[in-house]
Amino acid sequence: MHAIQFSSVVKQYGAVRAVNTFDLTIGSGQSVALLGPNGAGKSTTISMLLGLATPDAGSIEVFGHTSQEAVKEGLIGAMLQEGDLVPGIKVRELIDFVRRLYPNPLELDEILRLADLTELVDRRTDKLSGGQAQRVRFALAIAGQPHLLVLDEPTAAMDVASRHAFWASMRAYAAQGHTILFATHYLEEADDNADRIVVIDHGQVIADGTGAQIKATTGTRAVRFTLGSQPAAGLQELAGVTSVEIRDDVALLRTDDPDATLHALYASGLRIRDLETDGANLEEAFLSLTGDAA
Amino acid sequence: MSATLRYTKLEVQRILREPRFAIFTIAVPLALFMVDASIFKSSGGFDGIAIAKYLMVSMAVFGAISAALNATGARLAEERRNGWLRQLDITPLSPWSVVTAKTLAAMTLTLPAAALIYLFGALTQGVTLEAWQWLALLLASWLGSLPFAALGVLIGSAGNVDTSQPLVTGSMFFLNIFGGVFIPLQVLPRAMGHIATILPSNRYAELGWAIADGRAPSAVGITVLAAWTVGLCVTGVLAYRRGSVRT
Repeated sequence: MHAIQFSSVVKQYGAVRAVNTFDLTIGSGQSVALLGPNGAGKSTTISMLLGLATPDAGSIEVFGHTSQEAVKEGLIGAMLQEGDLVPGIKVRELIDFVRRLYPNPLELDEILRLADLTELVDRRTDKLSGGQAQRVRFALAIAGQPHLLVLDEPTAAMDVASRHAFWASMRAYAAQGHTILFATHYLEEADDNADRIVVIDHGQVIADGTGAQIKATTGTRAVRFTLGSQPAAGLQELAGVTSVEIRDDVALLRTDDPDATLHALYASGLRIRDLETDGANLEEAFLSLTGDAA
Repeated sequence: MSATLRYTKLEVQRILREPRFAIFTIAVPLALFMVDASIFKSSGGFDGIAIAKYLMVSMAVFGAISAALNATGARLAEERRNGWLRQLDITPLSPWSVVTAKTLAAMTLTLPAAALIYLFGALTQGVTLEAWQWLALLLASWLGSLPFAALGVLIGSAGNVDTSQPLVTGSMFFLNIFGGVFIPLQVLPRAMGHIATILPSNRYAELGWAIADGRAPSAVGITVLAAWTVGLCVTGVLAYRRGSVRT
């Protein structure tokens, strides 16, 4: 049985088609990143998956149930993007209350260990830092030992160290055989923490595969060199070049034919220093897929 | 313990930790009790009930209405905003359990508010009642607070964070002034007495006055209170469902 199956799902808000004929199947035990720029339809997709919004057309199944049934059965745990913690309660009380709502929860100590909250159990929820609060929200998401864990931009409010620790916790939970779906617009997070990346834009899947596969499908390469004070005009017209970016005095050319571009570059009469070429990183692949300027 | 009762307990704990709540539901009614008692001390009483006893019931009603409205009202609106209700929505706890627990918690929180007023009445105002009367007062205080808890759910579901607190405060003053709770109706213009008889606050207090006086409550009074209870519970639940509607 699939963990998640979206079949031709459509969701319209007024004139905007937030999700447009969305098809996606995720197998049990996979860790999948939903990657897309802001406004791509990630949060709407997740809201529908959790039964918080109803599709206008198409269907969603979670372990063979409707979303609402799956929530009621305790099969899903989620960390939503927005929201503060409920105030006036200790961390331990909150987590213990939520875990007992589920038929087959994790032990409290296990949750505290996974979310790295053992030191904070007696702290009131309104006395936590942003990163600590995110850990509590992660704890609430895993408390019921859900088969499917859904995280909507989970690290948005975290500093670098917290992010690192957070993903370690997430991977530890995934390693127990659970299915994970997380939305992010951080490309590196998707590459590091998911075994499959689904790129969405304008409410549709535009690429689907491992990080390496996605990089390969675009076929883009990057050529960098120090331009100095030389004019940038004409770089765009060189053979193979798809885009030009000048940052400080470094030129970055994206090309789908690096050999031809280099040839043309040397023939152009410019003085080329510090030349580097590399395979596109995921960010460049992503930009080329979504057609977005960073 | 069922999930609904565990959530009720959690709500009660959370609310009791708020100093603001204790001030509005206990300190303010106690202060008004002392003020009213000194203003009306030369009056023989109202409706044949000794003045201290009469005011004690009024102030317990004031505290209980305040507790029921403040335990729901703006808190609920805030929880719709801050995502807590959404968080609960993605757990197996049903929305019906959530609204039931909130209502039960609000009703339960009327008990300390009323009980402290009774204690104050007995210890400092010389009110003496039979044991069954004290128990009946507490029971009436608890049961009769249901329409006010439902009104709070209605306000917190229909209003937002900015509008719900003024609505709670406005409802509280309206119900307490026009219901003859703050000041005995007998000393107010007669027209107000007519308004009072159709208000749940007056009928809630009437229940207490009857018990304190050792009489059976009036059938009309109970009918009016029951009608408000049904009406406010239905609209409160509908508003709650609408306020947390799935899109």
